[in-house]
Amino acid sequence: MDSSTITLLLNLVYHVLVLSLVALGLGMVFGMLGVMNMAQGEFLTLGAYAMVVAQRMQIAAGWGILMAILVTATLGYLIERWLVRPLQTRPLDTLLATWGLSLLVRKGIEAVFGRQYQNITQQIGGSTQIFSVDYPSYRLALMLAIVCGLLMLCLWYKHSTAGTRLKASVANPVLAQAIGIDVKRQACMAFVCGVACTGLAGALLAPLVRVEPLMGMDYLLGSFFVLVVGGLGSLSGLFAGAGIIGSTQVLVSTMLDQTYGYLAVLTLSIGFLWLRPHGLLSNR
Amino acid sequence: MAYFQTAKQAASLLTLALCLVAVPFVTNDFRAYQLGTYLLYGVVAQGVALVWGRLGFLPLGQALFFGLGAYVAGLLFIHAQDNALLYLLLPLSILVPALLAYLVARLVFAGQYVSGPDFSLITLALTMLGAQLANQFTGLTGGFNGLANIPQLGDLDRYSSMYFLIVALVLFSTALLSWLYQTPLGTLWLAISQNENRLQFFGFATDKLKAGAFALSAALAGSAGFLYAAQQGLVTPQAIGFQLSAELVIWTAVGGRFGPYGALLGAVGIGLLSSDLREIWVHWEVLVALLFIAVVLYFPGGMAHLLLNAYQFINRRSGTHVPVYAVAPKTPGLRAPPLQSCGGDSGPVHLRFDNVSVQRNEVSILNGLSLAVEHAGVYCLIGPNGAGKTSSFNVLTGRLARTSGDIFLDSQRVTGHRADVMARAGVGRKFQIPSVFNGLSVTDNLRIALWSNRAQARQLLESTTRQWRTDMLDFLENTFTFLADQADKPAGELSQGQRQMLELSMTLLAEPRLLLLDEPCAGLSTAETQQQIEVIVQAVSRLGSTALVIEHDMAAVQRLSNEVFVLHQGQLLANGTLKQMQESPLVQAVYAGGQK
Repeated sequence: MDSSTITLLLNLVYHVLVLSLVALGLGMVFGMLGVMNMAQGEFLTLGAYAMVVAQRMQIAAGWGILMAILVTATLGYLIERWLVRPLQTRPLDTLLATWGLSLLVRKGIEAVFGRQYQNITQQIGGSTQIFSVDYPSYRLALMLAIVCGLLMLCLWYKHSTAGTRLKASVANPVLAQAIGIDVKRQACMAFVCGVACTGLAGALLAPLVRVEPLMGMDYLLGSFFVLVVGGLGSLSGLFAGAGIIGSTQVLVSTMLDQTYGYLAVLTLSIGFLWLRPHGLLSNR
Repeated sequence: MAYFQTAKQAASLLTLALCLVAVPFVTNDFRAYQLGTYLLYGVVAQGVALVWGRLGFLPLGQALFFGLGAYVAGLLFIHAQDNALLYLLLPLSILVPALLAYLVARLVFAGQYVSGPDFSLITLALTMLGAQLANQFTGLTGGFNGLANIPQLGDLDRYSSMYFLIVALVLFSTALLSWLYQTPLGTLWLAISQNENRLQFFGFATDKLKAGAFALSAALAGSAGFLYAAQQGLVTPQAIGFQLSAELVIWTAVGGRFGPYGALLGAVGIGLLSSDLREIWVHWEVLVALLFIAVVLYFPGGMAHLLLNAYQFINRRSGTHVPVYAVAPKTPGLRAPPLQSCGGDSGPVHLRFDNVSVQRNEVSILNGLSLAVEHAGVYCLIGPNGAGKTSSFNVLTGRLARTSGDIFLDSQRVTGHRADVMARAGVGRKFQIPSVFNGLSVTDNLRIALWSNRAQARQLLESTTRQWRTDMLDFLENTFTFLADQADKPAGELSQGQRQMLELSMTLLAEPRLLLLDEPCAGLSTAETQQQIEVIVQAVSRLGSTALVIEHDMAAVQRLSNEVFVLHQGQLLANGTLKQMQESPLVQAVYAGGQK
């Protein structure tokens, strides 16, 4: 294999992993609560802007990451309590309200930070030699962190009682409630964890991507495509979806152009909605 | 009633026309020019209101169709300067957006019976793609700087006379939508937003209806884009992108999404205000976003609704007579046309389940179910909970995919056909939990059932279709008197028992050859049960149909039919008369039978 193929493969793995991480948050919220949180992307934006604030205050990046998690989790709690829960029986209104929220966050950030791109310095600079190519060290570290995180999550989901309770609440909320699982609390937890997870993703990705008020939209749509293709309610579906969407995007973008990559995944998603509306692997 | 509505509509339209035409004379040409742009956005917003307020699905990328129309028209205007023949292609600026919208909606809606978030996100993705393409194909679109130097439309001056053409489009669009809303098609649109599933079981291909309405909204957006290109002389990617799409939704919500006037009001009111305020006050847009959330949560009807309430309040205060449109005198009624032939077979339906299995994960729902029905009449399906009774109905109507086996209707294989296809083939279904159109009046509920398999596309646009009557309707109104006495009551306000009767009536009005009735007497009093059973027996014999009834009450089973199928663990355990079944040791072993 020549070095350009290896770089392509590494890029591919990187994108699939990032996509899994980002889609995980939306998957938790959508799969667990049945709520399409249109502001999910804006939590990523908030996470990234936490890093901007940390940098301006000249504190360590670790504090920035912590701030990202705290801010998004708190906000997520308030939103679940005051916006999502009251609208539980009106799914279209939840979509609208969270869409309005996404607008609010974007405009708020615009009012505070302006529309321009923000620059975040990488904490781990330089590049590392791997499989005889030079690859940015920060990306490699990020990939490793995501793999470890997802593995731990898989094990926890499979083996812990909390994971089983969560599965029970997803499969049959009424029955779960009847056997003593606090479904409301589970839903709240899932929402808070989902958005905090996305906020963390935003903080981690901040040095690598363009940080500006509108950045969240691409991630919302990317996560949505992943869920459409993979199906809701299972981690394996999430990884399958991220694998297909991520690699299609990277391959088409590399061979042709970014816009065509976007066109390809959009067409793929419409095709799935048409022929396989529940996705590849679905619990529903 | 139709007359009053038409008169009221004409008055509203005339008021709108006078106000709009007066603007250039009262203010000045520049103000009118500015207003013209927002009136065009208003036409697009009317399209958003059509699909969102009426049909219940939200397009988040409507600017795509507006921008597409504007780019196509702009390009044609520019190149037609050299080749006048290109003017003939101008309708493309409306057709291309409409076709694209139709195609996308058909694909996304094909497998759905509830409007979920998918459509909204796909339209959002499409509008972002549109803006990217417009930015990228610089040669065609002028890229970021836009398509410039678009000539004026004939002799129409951009800054003066063009305004009146825009007003003409606004009036046309408003009149068209107001008219459509009160046709039978408009009622079907509302029914889609309330209970799409139920409508499919009346044989309406809701995906096509939704795609058609979306195409209409895109055509309106395209025609607004057409005039926009001529009025502005410049089309940039902003006209196609996400930002405008988002604003269109906000304007529609704040103005009022349930009618064409609210959307127009929102686009002109909030739009014009924003164009001035966003430059001078940085927090304006934050405020608009907050306003939007407030409207979603507390005032779904928007400004139009508030204004209407205020108007009625003032009228009442000042003692002016408010016309009350009471129940219209009963129209003599028109005889409904016969059912559209469905496959050609008349006579009793032949239904056969051939070794049908349904497996989900490790759970076996149906386990090689085989049964056949050849003669007309009422058959009962009994069996303990979980025997697969409702599941067999679900498999037959395409709501549950089978793992193996086949289903035949009149010797045609119908395995896996969609609910609306089965309904058109003459299969009607009543659900276990009564499923009606809660927000529609009792009469409208009955009408929709009457239109099932009868109304042709043309008839869905004629107001006389509302007056259709059939012998079955006479029979049902005589038996269930509330159907006529409470004709104008929303179905959602009926009691549970009345909703059972209403849904049964609706199912019977479609005159299916095969009736699937899932616990039609659940929740009824003893007297009501008696009446319900009487109606089923009589109607089935009148229609010469076959009915499969799921029933737990053995007294009811006794009165309904002689033939009984006993299901157990997803299989047919035995069949015969109720007496035979009650004596069968096999049946006794699994299912003792008994009374309610």
